[in-house]
Amino acid sequence: MKTQPAIHCARVVSRDELAPDIISVWLRVPAIARVVRPGQFIQVKVNYDNEPFLRRPFSVAQQQRDRIRIVFREVGRGTAALAQTRPGDEWSLLGSLGKPAPLVRNRDVIIVGGGIGSAPLLFLAERICRENRVHVLLGARKRRELILRTEFRRLGVKLSLSTDDGSLGAKGIVTDALADALRQTRCAQRQSGLSRHPARRHALNVGRQASFCPVVFACGPRPMLRKVKELAREFESYAFWEERMGCGTGICYGCAVKSAGSDRYIRFCQEGPVLRMSDIEL
Amino acid sequence: MSQSIRIDKVTFQNPILLASGTFGFGLEFPQVVRRLGGIVSKGITRRPRAGNPPPRIWEVPHGIINSVGLENPGVEEFVRTVLPAMRFGRAQVLVNVAGDTVEEYAEIIRRIDSELVAGFELNVSCPNVREGGVAFGRNPKLVGRIVKAAHRATSKLLVTKLTANFVDPVLTARAAEDAGSDAVSLINTVMAQAFDARGRPALGGGTGGLSGPAIKPFALYCVQRVAQAVRIPVIGGGGITCSQDVREFLLAGARMVQIGSINLVDPRAGIRILEEFCAQPRRLSK
Repeated sequence: MKTQPAIHCARVVSRDELAPDIISVWLRVPAIARVVRPGQFIQVKVNYDNEPFLRRPFSVAQQQRDRIRIVFREVGRGTAALAQTRPGDEWSLLGSLGKPAPLVRNRDVIIVGGGIGSAPLLFLAERICRENRVHVLLGARKRRELILRTEFRRLGVKLSLSTDDGSLGAKGIVTDALADALRQTRCAQRQSGLSRHPARRHALNVGRQASFCPVVFACGPRPMLRKVKELAREFESYAFWEERMGCGTGICYGCAVKSAGSDRYIRFCQEGPVLRMSDIEL
Repeated sequence: MSQSIRIDKVTFQNPILLASGTFGFGLEFPQVVRRLGGIVSKGITRRPRAGNPPPRIWEVPHGIINSVGLENPGVEEFVRTVLPAMRFGRAQVLVNVAGDTVEEYAEIIRRIDSELVAGFELNVSCPNVREGGVAFGRNPKLVGRIVKAAHRATSKLLVTKLTANFVDPVLTARAAEDAGSDAVSLINTVMAQAFDARGRPALGGGTGGLSGPAIKPFALYCVQRVAQAVRIPVIGGGGITCSQDVREFLLAGARMVQIGSINLVDPRAGIRILEEFCAQPRRLSK
C-alpha cells in the first residue's frame, strides 16, 4: 500500500564526515523510519526561508528504530549548507518518496556500488541479506572514498572491494569485478543445467544449494551503470538512478526520464528511483 | 468567517487556487485540493504531448525556470481516464486548455464538457511550446478570437490566462474582456534563459519560464495595472509563498490568487497559506 508522503520534522542525531566532502547524517524521524523501504528517498528543505528554493532529494542509506541515515556529497550550495549541520538541528523532511526496490527472495543477488552510490544499496543489502545469497561489489577511486565498507562487512555478505589506484582491494574498476562475478554465476548455472526462466528456476531451486536465479542491483555514476547494463544484459537488473528533481511527489512533471524504445517520458519520482535497466536509456 | 468568492456563476470556497502545471491533476494530494478554492489542471492539448526533453527544471536564486512543454495525455485520454477521478468536493475544477489554433481551443472545450468542470482557463501564455501559447498571448486580436471561439463552445466560466512577456497585459486583458472572458489570470512565467556549468543551455527545451518569489514584484505590478484597466475579476499569481503575499495580490486588485512554484516545495502549501490567511484575513485586504 502506498502511504501518502508528508512533511515531517526530523532531529539531527549525528553528523560524520566519511571522506572529504562526503557527509553522513543520522536523523530521528519516527514517521518516516516506520514506513521507508530500500530505494526510497526523502526531500530535505535546506533553509526555513525560501532560499535555495527547492528541496534536495536524498536516498535513504539505513534505517534503525526511529532513525534514518543519509549519506551525501557536497556538490552545490544546498548540500554545502546541509553539510554544516550539527546534532540537535531540526530538518524539514518530505517523504518517504518513490517506489521501493523489489525485495527479492531466494536469489543470487549481485550488488554493485560505485563511490557514493553504495549508500542506498546498504539499506537494500540489510533488508535482503538473510533471504538471499548476496555478493556486494564496491568500487571507488581510492581507499578513503570506499565508504560504508564496515557496515557492509558486518552483514556477513560476500564482499569484493576495488579501487582505481589499488589502495584497497583489487586494482581496477568495479565493473571488472562484476564481469568476473557474472562469469562465475553463468558457470554455476550451466553446471546445474537450470532453465533461464525465472519462475521455473525458482521451482527447481527449492531445497537446493546451487545457482539461484541471479538479480543485479547497481548504483553509481552513469558510465558505470551503462557498463553494468551491458554486462548483465541477460539478467534481471535494476539501477538506483539519480535525476534532477522538482517536487519529488509527482505533481510538477519536472523529472522526466526517457523510457527505452518509446518517445514517452516517465516521471522519475513516481516510477523511480529504482528502475529496471531494460526500461531506460542509459 | 466565510472566505467564499463568486466569479460569474461559480462560487469558490476561498480565494486560493492551485496554478496550472504545478499540481498535476490534483490526484496525488486530493485532500489538499478539497480545502482550497480550486485547482487549475495541467494544460490539455488536442493530441497527447510527450513534453520537452530533460532537464525540465533549473533552480535559480529565489525561483525556478521550467520547461516542461505541456506534457499531457491529450483531451481524449484526459476525458476518459483522468477527469472522472477529479472529484474534490467543494473545490472547483478549472481545466487549462492549450490549442495550436484558434479553433482547437473550442474543439478541446467541447470535448471536455462535463459536470465535474466548473470552467476553463484559456492558456495563451505558455512559453515552452513552439505553436500557440505565448505567441497567441502577445496578440490582442488573437486573444479576442480565442475567447470568442471558446465562448461559443461552452457556457461555463471562462478565465483567460495572460502573459506579460513582451506585451502589455492591459491590451490583451481588454481584448479578453471585450470578447466575453469572465475573468483573467496572470502572469504565468517570465521567459528566461539559463546556462549550465559547461556553458550549454541548462534546459532541454533550450529556454524556459521563470517562476517563484523572484517574479513576485513584477507580477504585483502587472496585476495592479490590469485590475485598474478592466472590470472583470483578475486572478493574480507569481511567487506567492505565504499569506502576506496573498494579501499583497489582493491589495493590487486581484479577486483571487493562484499559488504555483511553492507547491513543489511543500504540497500542503495551499492549506498552510489558507490557514494563515484565515487567521488574519482583514489585515491588508481591501
